[in-house]
Amino acid sequence: MRGSPTIGGREGSAPSRRVGLAGLAAEPRIAPRPPWGRLILAGSAVAAAALAAIPLVYLVVRVAGAESGAVADALLRARTAELAINTVGLVLAVAAGCLVLGVGTAWLLARTDLQARRLWIVLAALPLAIPSYVAAFGWVSLTPLRGFWGAFVVLTLCNAPMVTLPTLAALRQADLAQEDVARTLGRSRSRAFLEATWPQVRPAALAGVLLTALYVLSDFGAVALMRFEAFTWAIHAAYTSSFDPTLAAVMAVVLAVMGVALVAAERTMRGRQARFGSMVAARPASAPVRLGRWRMPALAALLAVAGVSLGVPLGSLLRYLGRGSGEGIAVAPLDVAADALTTVGLALAGALVALLLALPIGILAARWPSRLAAGAESASYVGLALPGIVVGLSLVYFSLQAVPALYQSVWILAFAYGVLFLPKAVGAVRASIERVEPGLEDVARTLGEGVAGTWARVTARIAWPGIGAGVLLVALTAMKELPATLLLRPTSTDTLATSLWRLTDISAYAAAAPYALVLTVVAAVPALLLTRDAVTGSTRAEGLQ
Amino acid sequence: MRFPARPVVATAAILSTLALAACSTGTEADEADGALVLYSGRSEDLVQPLIDQFEAASGIDVEVRYAGTTELAALLQEEGDATPADVFFSQDAGALGAVARAGLLAELPEGVTSAVEPGLTSTDGTWVGVTGRARVFVVDSQQVGVDEAPSTIHDLTDPSWAGQVGIAPTNASFQSFVTALRVLEGEDAAQRWLEDMIANDVQLYSNNTAILEAAQAGEIQVGLINHYYWYRLEAELGAEGMRAQLVFPAAGDPGSIVNVTGAGILAGAQDDPDALAFVEYLVSEDGQQYFVDATYEYPLVPGIAAPEGLPAVAELTNPDLDLSDLDTLAETTALLAEVGLL
Amino acid sequence: MSELQVRKVVAAYDSTPVLHGVSFTVASGTLAAVLGPSGSGKSTLLRVIAGLHRPLEGAIVSDGRVLSGPRVDVAPQHRRIGLVPQDAALFPHLDVRANVAFGLPRQERGGARADEMLALVGLSELADRMPGELSGGQRHRVALARALAPQPDMVLLDEPFSALDASLRGEVRAQVRQVLRRTRTTALLVTHDQDEALSMADQVVVLADGRLEQDGSPADLYERPRSAWLARFVGGAVTLRGTWRAGTVECALGTVPAELGIGQTASDGTTVEIVVRPEHLVLGDVAEAASRPAPGGRVRAMVRHVQYFGHDAVVWLDLPGLEEPVQARVLAGTRVWPDTEVSVGLQRPALAFAVPDSARG
Repeated sequence: MRGSPTIGGREGSAPSRRVGLAGLAAEPRIAPRPPWGRLILAGSAVAAAALAAIPLVYLVVRVAGAESGAVADALLRARTAELAINTVGLVLAVAAGCLVLGVGTAWLLARTDLQARRLWIVLAALPLAIPSYVAAFGWVSLTPLRGFWGAFVVLTLCNAPMVTLPTLAALRQADLAQEDVARTLGRSRSRAFLEATWPQVRPAALAGVLLTALYVLSDFGAVALMRFEAFTWAIHAAYTSSFDPTLAAVMAVVLAVMGVALVAAERTMRGRQARFGSMVAARPASAPVRLGRWRMPALAALLAVAGVSLGVPLGSLLRYLGRGSGEGIAVAPLDVAADALTTVGLALAGALVALLLALPIGILAARWPSRLAAGAESASYVGLALPGIVVGLSLVYFSLQAVPALYQSVWILAFAYGVLFLPKAVGAVRASIERVEPGLEDVARTLGEGVAGTWARVTARIAWPGIGAGVLLVALTAMKELPATLLLRPTSTDTLATSLWRLTDISAYAAAAPYALVLTVVAAVPALLLTRDAVTGSTRAEGLQ
Repeated sequence: MRFPARPVVATAAILSTLALAACSTGTEADEADGALVLYSGRSEDLVQPLIDQFEAASGIDVEVRYAGTTELAALLQEEGDATPADVFFSQDAGALGAVARAGLLAELPEGVTSAVEPGLTSTDGTWVGVTGRARVFVVDSQQVGVDEAPSTIHDLTDPSWAGQVGIAPTNASFQSFVTALRVLEGEDAAQRWLEDMIANDVQLYSNNTAILEAAQAGEIQVGLINHYYWYRLEAELGAEGMRAQLVFPAAGDPGSIVNVTGAGILAGAQDDPDALAFVEYLVSEDGQQYFVDATYEYPLVPGIAAPEGLPAVAELTNPDLDLSDLDTLAETTALLAEVGLL
Repeated sequence: MSELQVRKVVAAYDSTPVLHGVSFTVASGTLAAVLGPSGSGKSTLLRVIAGLHRPLEGAIVSDGRVLSGPRVDVAPQHRRIGLVPQDAALFPHLDVRANVAFGLPRQERGGARADEMLALVGLSELADRMPGELSGGQRHRVALARALAPQPDMVLLDEPFSALDASLRGEVRAQVRQVLRRTRTTALLVTHDQDEALSMADQVVVLADGRLEQDGSPADLYERPRSAWLARFVGGAVTLRGTWRAGTVECALGTVPAELGIGQTASDGTTVEIVVRPEHLVLGDVAEAASRPAPGGRVRAMVRHVQYFGHDAVVWLDLPGLEEPVQARVLAGTRVWPDTEVSVGLQRPALAFAVPDSARG
């Protein structure tokens, strides 16, 4: 900056009083600097949201291309209403179930004097590793549970960790002094929790509930095995009896609308997201709640939940494994290993795609909240509400139109994972960056770092654990994905999930069991990594108190 | 806590790129070779050994994409002319009919279609029947005695079977059966039967296997499935392990039909000799014998014996029914949707 | 270190004007305090100087180098201006030494500079701690060391002591002042605390509503405020209405000697506002007052109550004709009891301001 122009002379310290805006005409007005960085960010966010909205665009094209009579017929028939009621009922029930189970578990693990908390946290997270279709298969083969309650139990147990983990993390960061104050003001323990602590953890818990609800909307495996007639069941039926794409598309649009409604509802209920200071002032650790005579019931409840959510699926897998394949299909360990590698590679690639798409949307939503940011964020959630087969077919359509050379390549499949599970990454990016105090970025700038350097040395470094958790979550979910994988995978490429499908399709359960088991074990790795946060405490400062 | 940010991201990026590159270069290389691309709606474990035989015999590389038959039909329709597939091997005639009507299948040479018994293949020569599969009742032998078993689908609307019958309305074979019912007894009768079944609390399953498992577990007393599922489970469990037993419907009953699997050549591969060679192999003696031995299905080429213990295919085929009429699947799905089964 | 010039800076947030043309100069190596009530625009001014907020008009010049101007906008990272924020804002993911080394060139981050800086602020032994393990005062000293480490031309301190409790505040202030003196750093301290501004700064700039009210030394500001509002804002004052009559004012205190404030004019018989510092009021015995005339005349007042502070006391007095009590600050040992009558006099001439101009505040 040596060559920058200088203003000679000293003006002295004579203060200029009451100089209005008009009084400064002599000084040329400074032209507003176009915020290039923010424009690029907004542009990328819009582009990412547009990519995420491909399935929706596809549906609109399909529905618009159909005769209006056919659309009206498909929409207005009594069956559509019946399926809608079934799906809404299931979504609400599972959301409520996960909320109660997740918040209850998180409270026990965060606030009480329970022993072996780490073990319980791990056990609470592990159901994430079990694909809902494997869990449903376990329940079908070991219990008489079917229909609504079957779907409810399986989906609730599989998805509860989506609520437990973020709630646990939020409970650890919550300011518990407020609860103490509420108690001194005459509230019972439970009322104090509801009035003082719950508002602080609500955003985290509701975000988990939203992901769960969207998942339930789009889940096919569990409802099919439980023979509960939800929307996805009917969409699959229409597609796989193939010859009525309009019916399928119309029903998928209804699902997408339900998804948007869920996102809107969560937005309203979330309220303002509290920003946590980067430097929570050192406060004395609040004494854990003594369980006393409730210790045994609490332990029994945790054990029962872990038992049914892990024991039933794994038990049935082990039973089939023990039964042996008889004269059925032999499973070569190398094949399983090869599939596992493919699965991991694809899931990681999908997670990276999701991260790339999520970064601009999440940063924009965290730093410059606006209608645009909210719109981009909402658009990113649509994919999760749609069944995998719809997303799969939409990407068949899209890739053949736009990038035919990449059709049936791993790149399109990885991209599909990215789109399908984008919300998990967007939520993680937004929440993590929201928690980085903007003042830290200012300080870094005054210490000589540019915008990019500040991002790399401060924002990204502080937000990374949260963002990394989101990436893990996407990878974890992508590993279990089946319908889109079947449609989009390169010819003769198998993942653990497709091999599992191939073998169960011909009832070779004994042969399928190793694949299911390996899938669960592989998926358990990211699930366990996700608990690191909860186990060690979410900031170093807190961990060392 | 401090994640080692860059190493983890970098490792993930490198790993996944390597994995993807490995996968994708493999595919590209195969495509460059001009390998035959087969979309198979039939399961890998049943079909792959046959394909291996074919590759060994012909020296042609076959690359197979396995998925559900009807998903592949939807996929083919979505892909249109851009499809990489050369041959479509379908689990049922309906999906082949739908793909053919979309103008996506090439006409087969006369020599191929005439190898199969007429009535068990396409009428316009766009696809050829490969194997036959009989629709049967599966009963839970512990709950249903031999003399109590139903002999016609019309028995199943009787209140005594309330809540005890399993069907798989999304399954293509079931839909073929409903099509046959429509053709044989008329639209009204078919609709009435479906509505009566619903009124009788019919149990819905996602596929034949699930029905068989349910009968084997005593969850239902009767199910409508294809015959070979039972044989396959018997091969796994042994005869003494079979609680579920097969009952063949009376001859002439709409429940007693033979569905066929079949194959067609995609329009883009019309002049591909490899594609034709594969389809010819399916209806050759070797190909047909493979299905008899490995999948317990009916051969469709005259002169090849059916699997042991099965009634002759002629006993099951319905003289009043022309298979080519079974491609009106759209009407069937519309009917199923209307009564509320889809 | 260098001189800072702020010239006619106009700034706004989302088209809400915040600064209306503020100009002042901070001499090299001195500490200037920007004092103002909350909402006066002082934090915006600081962000403008740091380059974190772009002004609409005006210029920022550091030692003749234009940082902000009509055609110039030096990015914050190139301004060589350090920042110590209100909450210290230590990077939570870095230990103390890495925090201090953050602004150093990459090859120097492992060197001795960070440790030197920590020694300077007296925290050498905490180099390996994480920020979460420090007390509030320690955090601010680390933040200061971090800001000083790259040898900036000047340092901005944004209400750095407001988060500390009172007992810690004085100590940390003294330490910070000492470090700044020792390193001869030009510094700008933003605060709403007049004690902080008066006790630490060489120069005090008072902002109100985005306008500069006064710029001068702490003594200037206290003794010669430019308005009654300023007098009340800085140091606390009793304001009374009265009638100007050639060097005296007739008011509730009787006829007292007075001087006109800087730039004020008044003709005989006009109403003025006078400002009296509480410590300039003298209290005495009623009987004594009658026998011995005191400067500025004497009136009688009722003692409403007394706040005792040890070294001195504040006496709340009801003067005849006033509804609100006035405060007098008296040395310890002055014997005054509530509900007794005392005589009240004035030690020094009061400052008088014309009424229309000083009706603000």
